[in-house]
Amino acid sequence: MKPLRVAFGLSLAVLATLALGALHVSTPPDFFLLVVADMARGGAAVPAMLAGLPAGLLEDALTAPGRLLGLHAFSKILVGYLLATIGARTVVEKPVAVGSLLAGAVLVEAAALTFLVWVLTGDFLPPALWPLVARAATTGFLAGLLHAASRVPWKQRREARRRMRLT
Amino acid sequence: MAAPTLAERRPEIFLAVLLSLCFIALSLQVRRAGGRTVGESWLLTAVSPFVNVVTGVRSGLLEVGTWTTSRRALRVENGALADEVERLRAELLRLRDAEKDKGRLLELFGAQPSPPPGTVPARLIAIESSGPFHTALLDRGASDGLQLDGVVLARDGLLGRVIALGRQTARMQLLSDNTAAVGVLLTHAGRGGRAAVAKGDGIGGVSVEYVPTIEPVEPSDVLVSSGTDGLYPGGLAVGRVASVRRNKTLFWEIHVFAAADPHRESLVFVLPPVRKSDVTPGASVTERR
Repeated sequence: MKPLRVAFGLSLAVLATLALGALHVSTPPDFFLLVVADMARGGAAVPAMLAGLPAGLLEDALTAPGRLLGLHAFSKILVGYLLATIGARTVVEKPVAVGSLLAGAVLVEAAALTFLVWVLTGDFLPPALWPLVARAATTGFLAGLLHAASRVPWKQRREARRRMRLT
Repeated sequence: MAAPTLAERRPEIFLAVLLSLCFIALSLQVRRAGGRTVGESWLLTAVSPFVNVVTGVRSGLLEVGTWTTSRRALRVENGALADEVERLRAELLRLRDAEKDKGRLLELFGAQPSPPPGTVPARLIAIESSGPFHTALLDRGASDGLQLDGVVLARDGLLGRVIALGRQTARMQLLSDNTAAVGVLLTHAGRGGRAAVAKGDGIGGVSVEYVPTIEPVEPSDVLVSSGTDGLYPGGLAVGRVASVRRNKTLFWEIHVFAAADPHRESLVFVLPPVRKSDVTPGASVTERR
């Protein structure tokens, strides 16, 4: 089921990225990172890396067509591994912690991308600070929100409401 | 429960493999100074032999096509060039002949700066031998001013005289003819000249008769015309003594190398015939006139 989950998540990420791009949102959250982080939950490094590869390739295709295909794949694989490693060694349950972790992942990925571009092309191109911070914040907020939503026992609540209506 | 795979047990290895693949893929896309990526360079290097082969075949086909279409023009041009070469070759031969004739003329006129009036140049176009009779054909005749008994001179000396005239041609008798004779002076260094008669031997040479054995004669003595025979002016080179032999008579048997060889001469000069009143023994042709 995991490949289907990854495919579904990546499809949603593509659609969301395109939608925010159409709305001229200057610093959209990293939706693809959310998919990788979802696969890294519980310390599963290999699924996280395997999800990072198509996620990064898709992001490359969407954000930098015609340029270096594989930049985001590299960084997403790396970030996926790091998230899985952290998840395997610590217990991250609170939405704030998850959000903070994902915000940090955005910063790590930006650093990795900068380093990679510098190594490959010789151009040192650090990202602008405030857009990076905004991206990390929105990504972390969204991740925390989704994590919190995933912890809500929606089925039990629905069952309880149904039983209350019946009684 | 299935055993964990190597990737699950050692995710670092999997990470390294994936990152390496990504890095290699990225490296292949990086543009170099020439504007090409590493991948493009590798691809171009790999396909360059094929491209070279295709280019070579294409250029070969183009050359064949060009050769085919221009073959007719080349053949026409080749024919024209062959004709031109033939024409130029003939022109070259003609010019060489003219140059040779010019050299001979210069040599002749250098020796005789003022040829006698009425001297006509002619070509010796054929030599005919019939037994003891030796004649030659000239390409000038009566219409060119030649007269009977005209004296025929070559570059090196006397050749003979005109014995028959046509309008455009003339026949001359060579000194080697058995019936030809010329009065000569047999000269030797330190001695004066001794009159004698040179006659054709009928076999291509000249011999001297009537020189008594009491007269000293040696090989390489020189013979010049004496001008006493009424046919030839004096002072013309006739030949050089080749051999001297004593025979049973009172006279030497003398064989002579002729000064002029008709077989090596193509250009001759025909002087007007000697007038009987002008005969002066020993006078040269230029002095006489």
